[in-house]
Amino acid sequence: MRVLHSQKLTTPRPPLATSISKWRRAVPLYVMLLPTVAYFLILTYYPLVHSVFISLQNFNLIGNRPFVGLQNYQAVLSDPNFWAAFRNTLFLGASILIIGFFAPIVIALSLNEVLQQWAKRTLQMVIYIPHLFSWVVVGGLWIQLLNPAGGLVNAVLHAFGVPPVQFMSDPNTARWVIILVSVWKDVGFNCILYLAAIVGINPELYNAARVDGASHWQEVWHITIPSLIRTMQVVGLLSIMGLLRLFDQIYVMRNAVIEPKVDVLMTYVYDQGFTQMNIGQATASALLILVATLLLTLLTRRLVQFEL
Amino acid sequence: MKAWGKVGTLLGVSVLGIATLAGCASANSNGSNSSGSGNPSSSGSSNEPTLTIAEGVIGGKNPQENTAFANAIGKALHCKVQLIQMAGGNYDQKLMTMLASGQKIDVVYTEGSTLAQLAKAGEVTNLQSQIQQSSVLSDPKVVPQYEWNDIKLSSPGGQGIYAVPVKYQGALMAIVRQDWMQQLGLSQPKTLNDYYHIFQTFKQKKGAYGLTLSSLYDIEPFMSSAGVKNGYVMQNGKLTIPYATSAAVPVYAWLHKLYANGLLDPNFVTNSTADERNGLLAGRVGMFVYWDAWVPMLNNLAKTQGAGSSFDAEALPSAVGPNGKSLVSMGDTSVFAIPSNAPDKALAFKFLEWWNTKPGELLGSLGVPGIDYTVKNGVYQLTSIGIAENMDHGDPEPISSYWQNPFPQMQKGYANARQIGVTEGYQPLINANWNNAQKIIWQYGDDAILGKISPAAAVSKMHAQLLSLHYIDQ
Repeated sequence: MRVLHSQKLTTPRPPLATSISKWRRAVPLYVMLLPTVAYFLILTYYPLVHSVFISLQNFNLIGNRPFVGLQNYQAVLSDPNFWAAFRNTLFLGASILIIGFFAPIVIALSLNEVLQQWAKRTLQMVIYIPHLFSWVVVGGLWIQLLNPAGGLVNAVLHAFGVPPVQFMSDPNTARWVIILVSVWKDVGFNCILYLAAIVGINPELYNAARVDGASHWQEVWHITIPSLIRTMQVVGLLSIMGLLRLFDQIYVMRNAVIEPKVDVLMTYVYDQGFTQMNIGQATASALLILVATLLLTLLTRRLVQFEL
Repeated sequence: MKAWGKVGTLLGVSVLGIATLAGCASANSNGSNSSGSGNPSSSGSSNEPTLTIAEGVIGGKNPQENTAFANAIGKALHCKVQLIQMAGGNYDQKLMTMLASGQKIDVVYTEGSTLAQLAKAGEVTNLQSQIQQSSVLSDPKVVPQYEWNDIKLSSPGGQGIYAVPVKYQGALMAIVRQDWMQQLGLSQPKTLNDYYHIFQTFKQKKGAYGLTLSSLYDIEPFMSSAGVKNGYVMQNGKLTIPYATSAAVPVYAWLHKLYANGLLDPNFVTNSTADERNGLLAGRVGMFVYWDAWVPMLNNLAKTQGAGSSFDAEALPSAVGPNGKSLVSMGDTSVFAIPSNAPDKALAFKFLEWWNTKPGELLGSLGVPGIDYTVKNGVYQLTSIGIAENMDHGDPEPISSYWQNPFPQMQKGYANARQIGVTEGYQPLINANWNNAQKIIWQYGDDAILGKISPAAAVSKMHAQLLSLHYIDQ
């Protein structure tokens, strides 16, 4: 069996005749791709291009939609609410990103130490279940749990003599509730990715380390964690791509008191577009978010030298 | 060749799948939540015109009922009816998406605040001259003048009438556990002190919170004590928001006192209106502020939801203001409008007229004959479906004074509640900035109630912010 090393393999260029016959063989495969390509062109790229036009228009629902140049973009960039939402997005997004990045690694490593398979599976399932629920359910559930009157969390605190805490009506507390609930919901999913990666690590590496007298901690530090780097890159990249697109959770969990501290860019887009019918400005801000996300993703790929 | 055969099969299956999906999409491209009657109902001839109605409240409670509902309209107007029902929240967003996508609709259901934006952009038709010439709609007994005045608030510059009312919208008022009031020998409150005493007694004797709110929705029954109105008020040609003036400070202080003394439900910041209703039905709270039409609905629900046989919800007048008058705010008017690009404006207007005649009112309230109710020798009888659906098919309380509900026994508490609305009600003035302005008021108002900042500071901050964002003029 050939062992493939991680070095790049350079192959000599094939002659032209071979290339043509390869192409011919590949034609059916490309034809098979057509429905998928058509799907993306019609349902993703066409709306994207169309939204660029909308962002340059004074968009009326019915009738004329005159072009106004970059007026919508100027309106967005000079709107203090946009920048407030931007700051909130950075704070919430970065916190969720950092905590949400390390938490599943720690949990996966901890779960890996559990010897009883039934306990391991049960814990895995319990941690994963929240990921299956929609934000409407999870957000509503946590609002109920954290209620000062009748909420389970405050009931427990009361048992210890702690007075009721208004978790969701204090902006600073609510921010951390939102961050931690977000991590809690998705930690199970990322954890499974890491556990799958851990299972795939060659056991011979551990045997060799033990022969060399490595301690259990050294095995984790020098074998397990380095073997997870590729998975970390994928998880990190996916998390960064979602950084500016926080919406569902905020929409469900926000209230009048905490809105100034938790409203994010996507809720700004929603409020502009659907609450105020300012479709042009909403589309402009959505496109700015898209561009920012693209730049962030490219930057991250460059930093972690990610290659598919 | 084999490969090409596979490709052919795959493409065939793909085309079939896409066609099926497209078929589903077109059958459902009416923007409905698949609860609507997507395809036009037929009432007979195939040459009949089609009336397309986009709405969020009228109709049945399932697709079959919606079809029957659309058929009933079609039968009356001799046309096919496509009823696009967009129930389940976010109605405005769905409507806008539909209009923006170029879908042609004859009649749209909407509310005052959205109507103002649509009328301002010229996206709905000015119906004033048609209404004046209509024998039905120009009859003040069918649509009273105050309804037209309310609708005119949404017209650009107050000129023209761009919609026709769907139902009597009613007002938001304090709703109390009247059975508790009677058991505890409490009398109708007139001042904030009277209200406070009631809440205190509920807390002591019933172990319940006196009052629950959903943020600051709605505190007008208490703001009434200071003579302060909800929404905007125009003073000397300048817009102001009374809730953000010093006149409102004593009321915020009083609400904070309730909170500090455990008489106000501490969950008020995150409560939904459903939480409020459930709190009253469950005996967790003794009072909340909600629609007059909900008084009988709460009493009917109490029978089926085990709220106790003694349960009796009743509406209360608001606290009396400095001028001896009480105030309750009327709801955002529910209306039917005709888009400026409607394919059949004449038929659309015919529907608006019919909706305000007895057959239309029966359909909108009781429902579809034969499904929701039956009539034998002039005697109306609700079916089990009709009882379960609580006589609400979009127009639970028609505006017309010719209308008389055939089931007064299911209207417990409504006459009193409606009278409070008629006597004390006013239509708040709102504009396109109101949603944003309200956010600011609620934020600082809630902070004041929670005791994070003083009521005076809250008012000062909200006023300054509203002024800086040009949401108010003074």
